[in-house]
Amino acid sequence: MNLWQALVYFLREAAISLVRSWRVSLLAVLTIGVSLFVSGMLLLVSGNLSGILADWQARARIIVYLESDASEDQITTLRKTMAEAPGVVGVEYVDAKAAGENFRRSFPSLSDLVEGWKSEPLPPSLEVSLDPEMIDFAWVQGWTEEIRRRPFVEMVDDDQDWIKQVATAVALAQGIGIALGLVLLAAAMFTIASVIRLTAYLYHEEIAVMRIVGATEFFIRGPFYFEGFLQGLLGGLLATGSLFGVHYALKARYSASVWGGVFLEQAPSLGAQGFLIALGAVAGLLGAVFSLRREDLAAPTEDP
Amino acid sequence: MQARKILPPKNAVIQFFHVSKQYPGGQLALDDVSFELPRGDFVFLTGPSGAGKTTLLKLIFREEIPSQGQILVNGRNVASIPRTKIPFLRRTISVVFQDFRLIPRKTVFENVSFLPRILGADLSRQKRLAQEALDRVGLGHRMGAFPLQLSGGEQQRVSIARALINEPEILIADEPTGNLDPDLSEEILSIFHEINEQGTTLLIATHDRWLLERLGKRILTLRAGRLADDSQPLSTTEGETP
Repeated sequence: MNLWQALVYFLREAAISLVRSWRVSLLAVLTIGVSLFVSGMLLLVSGNLSGILADWQARARIIVYLESDASEDQITTLRKTMAEAPGVVGVEYVDAKAAGENFRRSFPSLSDLVEGWKSEPLPPSLEVSLDPEMIDFAWVQGWTEEIRRRPFVEMVDDDQDWIKQVATAVALAQGIGIALGLVLLAAAMFTIASVIRLTAYLYHEEIAVMRIVGATEFFIRGPFYFEGFLQGLLGGLLATGSLFGVHYALKARYSASVWGGVFLEQAPSLGAQGFLIALGAVAGLLGAVFSLRREDLAAPTEDP
Repeated sequence: MQARKILPPKNAVIQFFHVSKQYPGGQLALDDVSFELPRGDFVFLTGPSGAGKTTLLKLIFREEIPSQGQILVNGRNVASIPRTKIPFLRRTISVVFQDFRLIPRKTVFENVSFLPRILGADLSRQKRLAQEALDRVGLGHRMGAFPLQLSGGEQQRVSIARALINEPEILIADEPTGNLDPDLSEEILSIFHEINEQGTTLLIATHDRWLLERLGKRILTLRAGRLADDSQPLSTTEGETP
């Protein structure tokens, strides 16, 4: 029997077995489906959080407020120094008048507060844009401290501090998600392994007959490996379908809310879906291999 | 370890040299058993229950390994065959059991054609071989039936067809008529006789005295694991075809 014939045979036998013992098969598929769904949901949420964080990082700026009496030379020198720093993609000078106009435009309800002031309400500033790929939080912190110490610098407003805190929280959530996903996946593999062992036990007489008529171990174990593979594959498909459905339903209902925007912005990508399905199939296969690794299936006695 | 091929004496297909088998619990199933089975021979193996008949058969197709001594099948030391090569030994030795050992969820055709299928025969060849084997046992018309739809005698004939499909050199049977009435036993015996006539070596384990006396063949008698007798029986029907 060539490999193709063998694979067709394994697939057929595995499918028959899945249908015949559909209750235990369903249990295995549901277990792996739920595990992958939870893992996928965690991946989806952390992926969305990462996306939002990246967006914030891309838009994050360091605003250096200057004393009103800072000279043009001082401002030019500082602007040049900052522009040459690694990770800085642009430094824009905003004079006091433009800052005031920005304030009134951005906060029209507060514009009354500054009405009638003789001078502009906000000092001139240098707005520094950073390349999110190049950001090194520790370096940025040291750098802003150095700028803050300059005599004509009034204040430095740095978004990096809270972005760093959010990034730490996201990384922590991702770590917990991965750990939880691995635990759930291990539980699913254990379930599949148990189902395969149970199936092997149910068929042990049949397996003994196969051995006696001269079937090789490859031929005997192949259908069981395929069964685990199919269970995992079906679990992965179930998880992916559920993930997609739940995401769609929640987004339709909660997209207007802040949390809906945060957690449901992006649907699971094709890559993530493929990954979950493949993970299910591999977990199912490994579960089957694991369950039969020392299973002699009524094998002949050991070599002398 | 590669099995070493030893040239067998002329016509010897199965050889036992001082074979003993002791199970892990300490039970001695066989004790210093030696005999040879010439190619094309038809031999009965008998003895009371627990005498070691089934163990002896299992040793031939490497279901068990001897604790002492050597067993050669076609000159090859069975015990030294690597585990991965055991299936190839078993494809030359067919086994028929008292309880038929058919796969209930598979049809007669699927049961019988199992070996050609795993050897890569296409469906038409599987069907042709299965048809031929089933015709030999008179069940060519039951290819699509499931084992549980057949009578005991028919199931045994299917298991014999399965054993014949690969034209085995050796056919061994463990109490093949143990679950059958005398008429069906006669039928099975007749099939065995025909198989033997076509050159297959047969070793049949039985304690059915009628079966032993019916054909007048060589009889190996085991008692408490020892080969107590190796003889041609005195029979009024010696050499008669059933």
